[in-house]
Amino acid sequence: MEVFLPIAEVSVNIIAIFSLSGIVGILSGLFGVGGGFLMTPFLIFLGVPPTYAVANEANNILATSVSGSTTHYLKNTLDYKMGLMIVIGGVFGTLLGIWTFTYFKGIGKIDIVISLAYMYILAIIGTAMLVEGLGEIDKARKKIITKKKLHVHYWIHGLPFRMRFPKSKLYESAFTPIIIGLIVGFIAAIMGIGGAFILVPAMIYIIGMPTRLIPGTSLFVTIFVSVIVTFLHAFNYGSIDLILVVMLVLGSIVGVQVGQKLGESVDSTGLKTLLAVLLLIVGIAIAYDTFFAEHAGKEIVKIDVNNLNPLSMFIKKLSNERPTLYGLFSIVFAITLGVGAAFIRRFFSNLRKKYALKKS
Amino acid sequence: MPTLLKNLPSEIKKNKLKTGIFFGLSAYWLIIIFGTFTSL
Repeated sequence: MEVFLPIAEVSVNIIAIFSLSGIVGILSGLFGVGGGFLMTPFLIFLGVPPTYAVANEANNILATSVSGSTTHYLKNTLDYKMGLMIVIGGVFGTLLGIWTFTYFKGIGKIDIVISLAYMYILAIIGTAMLVEGLGEIDKARKKIITKKKLHVHYWIHGLPFRMRFPKSKLYESAFTPIIIGLIVGFIAAIMGIGGAFILVPAMIYIIGMPTRLIPGTSLFVTIFVSVIVTFLHAFNYGSIDLILVVMLVLGSIVGVQVGQKLGESVDSTGLKTLLAVLLLIVGIAIAYDTFFAEHAGKEIVKIDVNNLNPLSMFIKKLSNERPTLYGLFSIVFAITLGVGAAFIRRFFSNLRKKYALKKS
Repeated sequence: MPTLLKNLPSEIKKNKLKTGIFFGLSAYWLIIIFGTFTSL
């Protein structure tokens, strides 16, 4: 069942997009990772050009991070002050990333840069997760218990402008979260990912935040970074395709809920090793596609706007004629879907609790 | 160092999985680094 994407100007299989975004959503919910670093390569494999895959995945991440962040807001597990400091760095990092993106797009090398960036990120994360996962399995088998240091001090902790973060019970330099935000924003803009795989370890090991505040704060930062990435991609390149975004958001929101439920009952140590292998396989598939596959010259299909269906025609015209309005609409649309999903989840959760109380 | 080299074959036999993963990952990284240089 093929659907034509009016902005990306390619046809994609609707079932493939739904299933993949659902599977990536399950993995996200299960392991607490954003999933952007898996979904963007999958979109590229499905035939979506890398520049469009990056932009639309950023819009999808906006919806899922709004959904997750609202859930944490309702649970009061979010450090706004720390989050805002990371966002300040994130804004500059994102602008720098978009500028780099524009440079490589200008010299016609953006597709290879995106592919290489993914290949290396997947290789680094996959190798680290595989080594860690195997180590954990080995330790569990030999019943070895290791004591970890509570907090390690790096040079970054000696920076000036120290301030208090009451919710996290920390007193440290404002530059620590700003520098981390800068790196995350830069990578998010180029690769169309939320950057949780950098942000979460940095919050644990460098900032030293309490674990219960990390997922909510990380998602809170991701909202701002993905809003800027989405808007700049929509405004500069007109690359946000609302039809693709709807498919991605619906699949991933359902998947994340299923993944979070599964995570409550499944031991994830063995699964982490499997995820590492999956990441390495995706990495090598991108390497094969980039280095060895014969790239037959893809025909550029000239689309006559009058031959599209009314919805596609409206999306195409709005994107071309009113890019600012279209960008803002994409953002509001993703936020609405995300908040709606969080409240639906809360409604069902309350309903289940009431049912359980009645039963007991 | 010479003792380590002498014991290497027996260590490899003992840790077949780890050796396999080590060689697998090395090959993986060699492919992507080599590919990067040839494609740029």
